[in-house]
Amino acid sequence: MAKDIEKTTNPTPELEPRAKRAVEREPTRTGTWFRPDVDILERADEFVVVADLPGVDEQHVNVRLEEGVLSIEATPEREPDPSWTPIYTEYQTGGWQREFALSERIDAAKIQASLRDGVLELHLPKLDRHRPRTIQVQAG
Amino acid sequence: MTALGPVLRTTAFAAAPRCVHRGRRSRVMMEVIDVAWTRLFDPWPGDPWADFGRLRREMDDVFGRLVAAPRLGRGTPFPPVNLYETADGYVLTAELPGLQPKDVDVSIEGNRVTLRGERKIAVPDDQQTSLHRRERQSGIFRRTLELPQQADPEKAQAVYRNGVLWLHIPKAPEAQPRRIAVQGS
Repeated sequence: MAKDIEKTTNPTPELEPRAKRAVEREPTRTGTWFRPDVDILERADEFVVVADLPGVDEQHVNVRLEEGVLSIEATPEREPDPSWTPIYTEYQTGGWQREFALSERIDAAKIQASLRDGVLELHLPKLDRHRPRTIQVQAG
Repeated sequence: MTALGPVLRTTAFAAAPRCVHRGRRSRVMMEVIDVAWTRLFDPWPGDPWADFGRLRREMDDVFGRLVAAPRLGRGTPFPPVNLYETADGYVLTAELPGLQPKDVDVSIEGNRVTLRGERKIAVPDDQQTSLHRRERQSGIFRRTLELPQQADPEKAQAVYRNGVLWLHIPKAPEAQPRRIAVQGS
């Protein structure tokens, strides 16, 4: 299943946000969920996903890799006091959620995650066999 | 509670560059956009896409699916702020992920609160790194917010926690509600 998604929506890059694709999911969770802003970098040996999760600490974030789908779920550790009266609102609070289809080129066992000041940083190392290699050309 | 909302202005704001071409190395511009340009940003949350997002969420609910929607439309000033009124003052919250407390400057003058600072995002500029997605905003920001009533800057407290600034500002003594004891004659 995950592989099919990659093949149809992910011709070249290894990470593809699945925003356009509805995620089949049991409607078990309540509340409002938002999509965090992310930066995605690719280096020779890894992908780096950086996500803004303001208000989230390390106890309230859940990063999972399941069937080739990397999912980030987080909730803010503190909500505004219900006794406060909102008089001007630019942003809503709620959970954060986003999913990415990963190719098999990622070494799932070595994914590293860190969270600091509301920013999640994921390092997704590529499998050794997919790292670029320089081939020495020898004179014949 | 006041009938009119506080006045919000964005005087300087550097927008994030749009998403770059996937899988291709592109130059990322990180420059401060001048003040005249920033006026184009609508400081009021009248995002024309908001209803669309809501509709989509409702549809998602109908079909039993869950798709997280982008929360803020493009053009929302950075940082987004919320203002609450409490029994004795105001609480201003601002989402500033990835900053250090020393990167944010908060000043209160009368009933005007100003947040300013810079959010830096290091973008690698080497041949080995390619950028697939760049959505996080960076740049210099400065926002001024007018509180409905006079504040007491001496007693204001600012806490930066997990990327959110919580600013508690008590009302000035003369603006505090006062209880008048009714005496029997």
